Amino acid sequence: MEDRNRKRCWFAVLMMTAIWTPLIAQTPGATSSDPRIKFKDGARYLRDLSTALQIPRESICKELGQYDCYTDAFRIVLGGVEPYGNAIVEPLETASLTTPIALDRVALRACTERVAEDVKNPTEAVLFLPGPPSKKWKQTTAVRMYDKLLQRDARKDEINRLLDFYDTVAAEGRPAAETARDWTVLGCFSVASSLESVFY
Amino acid sequence: MNSSWSRRKFLERSLSAGGALMAAGLGQGAFAQTASDPRFLIVLSGTGGASIVDSFLAVRESESVTPKEVNAYPDSLVQSIGNLPFRAIDFSSERIGAIPASFTANQSNFVKKHGQDMMVVTHTGTSVNHRVAEQRSVNGNAAWKGRTLQEAVALQYGQGHPIPNVHLVNGTGFTERGTDDHLPSYAYGEHVSVPNLWPLSLDGHKGVDGAPSRELFEKARAFRNQQFDPRSDFYAVFKKSDRVRRWLELRGDPLCGVEAQDLITKLMVFPDSEKMPLAAHGLRGSELGEKVRSAFPRYEIDPLESQAALAFLLLRYGVAVTVTLGAEGGAVFKPGVTLKESGLGKGGMINTPIAFDFSHQAHRETQALMWDRTLSVADRLITLLKGEEFRSGQSYWDRSMIYIATEFGRTRRRPEGAMSFGSGHDLNNGSLIISPMANGGKVLGRVDPNTILTYGFDPQTGRPEPGRHMTEAEIYSGIAQAMGVDLSGSGLPDMRAMRSSA
Repeated sequence: MEDRNRKRCWFAVLMMTAIWTPLIAQTPGATSSDPRIKFKDGARYLRDLSTALQIPRESICKELGQYDCYTDAFRIVLGGVEPYGNAIVEPLETASLTTPIALDRVALRACTERVAEDVKNPTEAVLFLPGPPSKKWKQTTAVRMYDKLLQRDARKDEINRLLDFYDTVAAEGRPAAETARDWTVLGCFSVASSLESVFY
Repeated sequence: MNSSWSRRKFLERSLSAGGALMAAGLGQGAFAQTASDPRFLIVLSGTGGASIVDSFLAVRESESVTPKEVNAYPDSLVQSIGNLPFRAIDFSSERIGAIPASFTANQSNFVKKHGQDMMVVTHTGTSVNHRVAEQRSVNGNAAWKGRTLQEAVALQYGQGHPIPNVHLVNGTGFTERGTDDHLPSYAYGEHVSVPNLWPLSLDGHKGVDGAPSRELFEKARAFRNQQFDPRSDFYAVFKKSDRVRRWLELRGDPLCGVEAQDLITKLMVFPDSEKMPLAAHGLRGSELGEKVRSAFPRYEIDPLESQAALAFLLLRYGVAVTVTLGAEGGAVFKPGVTLKESGLGKGGMINTPIAFDFSHQAHRETQALMWDRTLSVADRLITLLKGEEFRSGQSYWDRSMIYIATEFGRTRRRPEGAMSFGSGHDLNNGSLIISPMANGGKVLGRVDPNTILTYGFDPQTGRPEPGRHMTEAEIYSGIAQAMGVDLSGSGLPDMRAMRSSA
């Protein structure tokens, strides 16, 4: 199973290559000729996720159940500094090889935590709302993902893409309730780890 | 060697499929120099000025005309070992300057064990500023377009390795990025700030409790990478950003390369424990964990041992071709040590504050303790590497080099006959290199017993040349050549005397 997933990763990169190449040349819209964006370092990223997902900052992401993902584990990798212990007084100039992996891990953990909380307390659900996964339920959830995580309204085509992704998750053939839960976690993950969420 | 994925193969496939990563600017560094069989460079830093005349080029008082004014040692403390040209200081003290910490330090055991692989080279640097001198000790004072030795080795041999250049010690010039901005991204050092938790950053999914299956997670990544981001307004506006381009590059090929190797497991030094409850989160420690923990039993409390344990795993598992580690600036004490009236107790201090630079307060004690510490870690790494077969009967050590990099030497004068005194920074020094690929069992250059200053050697023959001082660029070149780095077009001098074939 592990091997299959690794191969899937390679395949995804191949697909990505095929997708991005024409887009890089053709994406319409106003392209900045002098793009100046910043990487949202781990402290800011987790603070934003904490606000968006309504999980206290201190419990939103714990490695091994006890180490804060940013403060203890991935501080430098996620663009922070540690002047006292490690004499690192400036953030890394560029993202390191492990930065996107650590960021994916943080996003997945936070989204998983949010949905788990929603399952436990459906009346106070933030993302994973109670109810059968009807089309309306999916649309509402997709809108909430954009609203919470990117703090903007989703366009119709953006909602439709997330709904298409629901079908991808459903193709696994698992019970509807599990599919809905997994889709909510992974949709949240996709939005939370998107370029728009990671940079500002 | 455990390196199952090939960047080249992958890119060949990508390009033949019409991916044109390079054309898109996403594949920076996709085509490195062809890596032949890798060689491994371990930079073990002697932060603060590891003095060669307080170790392998020590001078006896009986050899100097003004022995009480300069840093010549009592004859009884200077050991000679067989026919080897190296000296060694075996030294005990009740204090380290003002610190009441007794210790016993030994250099001769290391010489006895590894003398045939030891090469001492003299040199004179160009800076006594810590940071600047640290940088120059690994870039030869910008000898080759500003690229560091680690970057040069990663460039030469790093292709196909998930994280070729790993920096385990932080906040030093030894691990600062070089100034050649045109290297493939994988050649630059990856910083590890917390060795025990760092492996967790090598997998986006494993050990995340309650997350959907790996298979679905990969589908979500594919959705994000192929559908979500490419069609976003954000991308449309900022697609020319270097940061975005690098992010997309890293999220593709390198990410798969790292995760494919299950490094979150292989590099986990810690066993399952209350402090690191791995099993409860679906994780486990490295198969070689017990071996490295037994070699470096202080891995939990001593940053250097923790780095060394991970360094071995990085090399052994084919993750990296160069690792940089070293004592950090903070004091390290033996667990449970408390300051009593009688002091810290024997061996209570493991690492002096500011490492070798505590020589400002207590020169000989600091040099003895810190050399002992550095050599002990080197010895254990060598032993581990010798015990692992690389290929066809060759061990990992047969292809490795340990370069003990340091900023500078220390001033040579002392108060009349003093055993305990402070020293300053001095450009003049030498370095220890240990490797089967170096010209082992040799001292290149000599020391003047009256001034205790070192002088250089003929780069071809190794013959000592009084009045000559080897430059940082020459030492850089000699190390790179011994490592088999292709220096074509660099204009660097041929340092034949530093190679094993000399």
